[in-house]
Amino acid sequence: MSAVGKLLDRRAQLRRSLKALGASGQLGYGIPEKSLAAGLGREPDYIGADMGSIDPGPYYLGSGELATAPATTRADLTRLLRAARKLDVPLLIGTAGSAGASPHLEKTLAMVRDVAREEGLRFRLAWIRADMPREIVKQAVRSRRVTPIDGMAPLREAEVDAADHLVGQMGTEAFCRALRAEADVVIAGRACDTGIFAAVPALLGCPIGPATHMAKIVECASLCCVPGGRDPILATLEGDSFVLESMNPERRATPMSVAAHSLYEQSDPDRVAEPEGVLLVRNARYEAIDERRTRVSGAEWLPGAAPTIKLEGSIRVGERAVLLCGSCDQRVIARISDILAEVSEVVRGLVCRDEPEDYRLIFRVYGINGVYAWPTPPDTLPREIFILGECIARTAERASAVVRTTKQYLLHHGFPGRLSTAGNIAFPFTPPELSAGTAYRFNVYHIMQVDELAPLFPVEIEEL
Amino acid sequence: MKLVELARTVRSKNAGPLKLSLDLLFDDEAAYHRALQSPALEPAAMARLYGRPEGTVEILPYPAALAVKIVMDRLVVSGDIGDRDVYGAQQHAPLLDLEL
Repeated sequence: MSAVGKLLDRRAQLRRSLKALGASGQLGYGIPEKSLAAGLGREPDYIGADMGSIDPGPYYLGSGELATAPATTRADLTRLLRAARKLDVPLLIGTAGSAGASPHLEKTLAMVRDVAREEGLRFRLAWIRADMPREIVKQAVRSRRVTPIDGMAPLREAEVDAADHLVGQMGTEAFCRALRAEADVVIAGRACDTGIFAAVPALLGCPIGPATHMAKIVECASLCCVPGGRDPILATLEGDSFVLESMNPERRATPMSVAAHSLYEQSDPDRVAEPEGVLLVRNARYEAIDERRTRVSGAEWLPGAAPTIKLEGSIRVGERAVLLCGSCDQRVIARISDILAEVSEVVRGLVCRDEPEDYRLIFRVYGINGVYAWPTPPDTLPREIFILGECIARTAERASAVVRTTKQYLLHHGFPGRLSTAGNIAFPFTPPELSAGTAYRFNVYHIMQVDELAPLFPVEIEEL
Repeated sequence: MKLVELARTVRSKNAGPLKLSLDLLFDDEAAYHRALQSPALEPAAMARLYGRPEGTVEILPYPAALAVKIVMDRLVVSGDIGDRDVYGAQQHAPLLDLEL
């Protein structure tokens, strides 16, 4: 019998008490061994892990690369696959390979198949693509069913075609379909964090509001605790409420720490929009059971009138080269913004001659405005500055050529009051200019209304 | 009194690639209400502090966590050319000197 079949057989009992292990908030950076062992010792009814996010920026979605190192990712997958098969419980992983488009999913599946073979694990694998068919999205654009999020420009059909990858966030519904197909292991492309953990409760007929609220919290592992951290967390869903407990004894889930987590990365602390509806947490209650465990209740679920999908697309903008250097000369530091403007002008003349500028050259000066766009210079000058020069151009060769010329002319740029005529800047190593690969930007971040979610997130089954 | 003398946590993070969310967490009701009543934490004052157009900054009290959330647009979409902080995790600096 499948792992999920066994859960369904115990449905009546599990509706009263269902244990979910949130193994990782970002699979592939390493799972603390001791707290994972502690979590597995509690015999969870299912294990879930989130593997991606939009936070690391447009590069991963655009390039199809993983943000995590292959060896660490594989080690994390091995631990969870081994554990889930040993306990014979479902394992659900969302946003495979950092961004959840096809290349990320394929790379993750290749690791899963490899691990299964090497470890001698046998299971039924389900995988769910999240790439959005371009024609369907363009059709939705034409019928005005696509709306921008947070001030993005309205979506144009050309942007839909141009995106290097275009994914939609699947919800609980897609994971439920995979489980209904009796999958022991579900590897999903781009997915809402909640789907990973709300699907098993939904399948068993648990109340959706508390189950989704639980899912929203445990997808970040022990981040909802004080001190917050990456250790696995155990959630016990008891019908209308759930109890949170970190698997690291030093982390405490307190009413305040858990409530505060509702704010994390959310622009509205009261509502969480999902494909199938909205989670309302305004009336949620947080009560301490003891100093390490908190009971949460009161979240409500409002089913949506029509299903919606959050679309994410990323597009190449060019090739990036960077220059790394610094200065501790107060005369350079005091004039740095003028120096950089003057050098940029000189460089433009040298690398473009009479042609128009075909690249972007920008500088961040750490110590002055590298991290935050301060409106005014500091009251006192820093002792040292670090200068990060960045060029984006059509080709890597062009970006590199601009940065190399910039390096040389910045080193020897003359300015009034200059004393150090042998060089304005220090290089920490050679070469101080590096090619940094392809640069991307998010060009789709929109909501698409659809009639049906299922056809857009097909479940595929494979016996391993 | 400075905000940092009252708040337990002052943090910043993206809420999606176009929004910035700044969270202020307090240890007790008194500190929470004291901060919430300050004119320095009104939307217009916060817009001035962050150089954003008036009417574009939201202040959202969240009593369940004794927290105040400040939401505004990012100046640059996360990861676009010229971005300084892809995760938005270091945009709380102006709050560290804020006088309530």
